[in-house]
Amino acid sequence: MNAILWEILEQNLTVAEKEWLQEKDATRPMELMTAFVAAPRYLSKQIVQPDVSHALELAQQLPGFSVMGWSLVRLSRVWLLTCLDTTDREAYVRHLETLFDTAEMNELVALYSALPLLAYPEQWLFRATEAVRSNMGVVFDALALQNPYPARYFTDLAWNQLVLKTIFNDKPIHLIVGLDERANEKLARTLSDFAHERWAAGRSVAPEVWRLVSKFLDEALLEDIKYLFNSGSQHDREAAALTCFQAEYPPAHALLAKYPELEKSVQHKKLSWADLEFNDLNTYVSKP
Amino acid sequence: MCQNHNTVEKYPSHFEDSGEVMTHRDLAWDDYREAIRGMRFFDPHVHMTSRTTDDYQAMYDAGIVALIEPAFWLGQPRTGLATFKDYFSSLVGWERFRSSQFGIKHYCTIGLNSREANNEPLAEQVMEILPLFLYKEGVVGVGEIGFDDQTPAEEKYYRAQLELAKAAQLPVQVHTPHRDKKQGTERSMAIALEHGLDPSWVIIDHNNEETVQSVLDQGFYAAFTIYPFTKMGNERMVKVLEKYGPERIMINCAADWGISDPLALPKTAALMKMRGIPDEAIRLVTYQNAIDAFGKSGQIDVADFENGLAVDQSQKFNGNTILRGGQQPRVAKDSLVIN
Repeated sequence: MNAILWEILEQNLTVAEKEWLQEKDATRPMELMTAFVAAPRYLSKQIVQPDVSHALELAQQLPGFSVMGWSLVRLSRVWLLTCLDTTDREAYVRHLETLFDTAEMNELVALYSALPLLAYPEQWLFRATEAVRSNMGVVFDALALQNPYPARYFTDLAWNQLVLKTIFNDKPIHLIVGLDERANEKLARTLSDFAHERWAAGRSVAPEVWRLVSKFLDEALLEDIKYLFNSGSQHDREAAALTCFQAEYPPAHALLAKYPELEKSVQHKKLSWADLEFNDLNTYVSKP
Repeated sequence: MCQNHNTVEKYPSHFEDSGEVMTHRDLAWDDYREAIRGMRFFDPHVHMTSRTTDDYQAMYDAGIVALIEPAFWLGQPRTGLATFKDYFSSLVGWERFRSSQFGIKHYCTIGLNSREANNEPLAEQVMEILPLFLYKEGVVGVGEIGFDDQTPAEEKYYRAQLELAKAAQLPVQVHTPHRDKKQGTERSMAIALEHGLDPSWVIIDHNNEETVQSVLDQGFYAAFTIYPFTKMGNERMVKVLEKYGPERIMINCAADWGISDPLALPKTAALMKMRGIPDEAIRLVTYQNAIDAFGKSGQIDVADFENGLAVDQSQKFNGNTILRGGQQPRVAKDSLVIN
């Protein structure tokens, strides 16, 4: 990974910036750590544009990992972290803990972006859950969205908390890596409770969250889907149709059959979850 | 000299050109606001950690686009290193993020404040962690440091931090004492010069009519804090500007956990405008001079805020801003109903 990241960097760095990074002695952790902190003093924050081949290579080596939308500083910082010598576990962990403990906001973003690339991945589990607890939106996003670490290493309990908090904060769950693979019954039931609270408050629920419920539909959860079919929002009705269509629970198919137009759209793939993937949610505004 | 101060504070309407002065006292802030429509402000000293979200929204509405939060005393002494570390972390972390949610660019200065320099065992430990924070992105100086009681310990750590500033190539934000101010200010400047600092890299804060001349004469920046009762009033500030002009002068509010006013800067700008101070001079003392002084850190890019807080492209997905945490929604404050 270190090599690919450097290739992407090389295509985006100026000569002076490249020199500044190259002169860091990778055998001296303090030098790398200092460079990690000082990076914005020497590198621009322009957005990195990886070419298609590099983007594909990244996705192959580490599915779900992407540097799209990263600044040059963020990518350089992550690259610097991948230069740290990992042979002495105790020293390696100590260096990273120091960086975490004294990090400012953008450093935290880089640290959490780098989690899937770090050695001793299970070592960072507690740190990772701390990002889910963070109220700094950008820090939360760096771990929760477009980052393969949580799907690989989180327990169900931690995973469900991450998904719920993403939903709670009106952030787009379709950017969570491993969303469908990690769907579980406990999460589906919690989502149902969550939806009931929202509805009681006259608020709405992002329609795409119901994709997490399909596999676990039963009598009780189907009541929520009926509620959605009766909603005034077209997006809610579409979400209901998609949820039923993907379910293995026969009564869900019978329910969908009552809405032939929607049924046709999902059968003919004219409607998919992608149509309900919104990035500008505002579910807290009460409905009249 | 003290009598002069009292005269100014107690009887402002007795000033020579007080013909108009009387009327402004009857004006509400909403009336002032028109005078500064379209102006942008940079407040180089405000302790947002102690302020509410209402303050952030009011500051944004009044035209404040960026601010500096100096590290200072929290109202009671800290008992351990960890609380210092967490405080410094919050200045470059949570508070920075909180501010961005209200559309205001947040910078900070990091330092061991003068009061807590007196706890020497703790001060020693704080000195050790300061370099970890001084090199952070958005740290625009060492501050606020200087004298409070003017004890030997305060002097020791003031000197040590001047050396840190030199090493990190950062400006210095110097707090001047409430008591024995004139002597304390002179002493602060003499020590900075003794350590070889370029006075144009040093911002002497909390000036008044008695200190400003010497500060400017020696080439330092002179900051004035508009803070009710204990520091400058803004009518006095206008007088100072009329006398000294705008060069190397900057205004701040230093709002904190005391009775203070986070809108002191825009209010003072409005007053200056009404008193006929030229727009360019107002711009210098409420915006540009602070940027010039603290910008020597290399950490201020005006493109980040000059047209409102620019959306950091790296914090966006697919062209929308919600993932920055978004801008905080507005609540209808006058409404009885809370949704």
